Amino acid sequence: MKVLVVHAHPDPESFNHELMQRVVRGLRSADHDVRVRDLYAENFDPRLSLDEKRNHIAPPDTKPQLAEYYDELRWCEALVFVHPTWWGAQPAMLKGWIDRVWACGVAWELPEGAKRLKPTLHNVRRIVTFTTHGSPWRINALQGVPGRRIVNRSLRVICHPLCRTRWIALYSMDSSTPDRRERFLRRAERVASRL
Amino acid sequence: MRVLVIHAHPDPESFGRALLTAALDGLSRAGHDATVIDLYALDYPGGPTRDEWRAYETESPVLDPMVAEHVELVRSAEALVFVYPTWWSAMPAIMKSWLERTMVMGLAFTLDERTRLIRPGLGHVRHLVGISTYGSPRWYVKLVNDNGRRTITRTLRLSTGGTARTTWLPLYTLDGQSPEGRTAFLDRVRRSMEKLS
Repeated sequence: MKVLVVHAHPDPESFNHELMQRVVRGLRSADHDVRVRDLYAENFDPRLSLDEKRNHIAPPDTKPQLAEYYDELRWCEALVFVHPTWWGAQPAMLKGWIDRVWACGVAWELPEGAKRLKPTLHNVRRIVTFTTHGSPWRINALQGVPGRRIVNRSLRVICHPLCRTRWIALYSMDSSTPDRRERFLRRAERVASRL
Repeated sequence: MRVLVIHAHPDPESFGRALLTAALDGLSRAGHDATVIDLYALDYPGGPTRDEWRAYETESPVLDPMVAEHVELVRSAEALVFVYPTWWSAMPAIMKSWLERTMVMGLAFTLDERTRLIRPGLGHVRHLVGISTYGSPRWYVKLVNDNGRRTITRTLRLSTGGTARTTWLPLYTLDGQSPEGRTAFLDRVRRSMEKLS
């Protein structure tokens, strides 16, 4: 399967970065064709620009600066996100990748005279998220699980009609033991290898 | 009342900007002392850097003088007003970045050394307000969970100790609105900010 891994964490020595590496190892062990987007490492600018906003229903070839990103989003059959959950949701870096790359002519179209946009990202059949939360599960529940629903609802409806989603999370990172973290890494690698 | 208004829109000629102006009109009519943080105008960065992340849970989590200034503004604010377009059911990345960089340990919350659990730090914020436009109709926004709203009225509200009052002013189906519909919404924003207490 063609898998696009999108990772957002500022520190290459973090637990989250290790999590990304274990996930990639799991995916490669199952012979998937894996591409990795490490947004912080490449200094991605997550801010949708004035020009992109004003031309947001213009065809994708008007935004050559994003061509590479568009291509791989259209290429993949599975999307894998690896990121910490901050303020209940994806880091700004990853939210900005969504804001800018899930564009008209790539992820959706607005046919002439139509009132609603038409989803076109039918190549994506799986979305799997690996994330860590500082706080316990119950706090995330009180927050209304925004991060999970941005992906598993708002993005999911743009993908293949039978697209399946999974959410693999380690809660209470702030109070977790090394042993629990290691077990989570092993689990993540196992899940990735069985995609 | 001291009010901090945080605004995110890349286009200074947009309806989003008109919403900011309407909110400020209402606040000044009521005699509130409002300060604006216009994130795109400030060329605000897109997220915490590696060094900021490493400093996050330390005694001095703020490395950037602009963040230090914003931390002081939040500390003295009794109301936080967020004005932004909703994209992919949530706030634009630049505004999420502002939360990540400003709402650090010691401001938004404190860490209980014994239990390793966080305690709320925004008890002085009495009111949280969101003013947002949506491309989608209301039923669709509800279906996908209105995630930006939840980030403010639930996630951020937990940091006030769950005590802040919340006001949400949404304009759904933005592209389907008539000029009258837009004007009516601007009036609603103005009136609502005038009544903020």
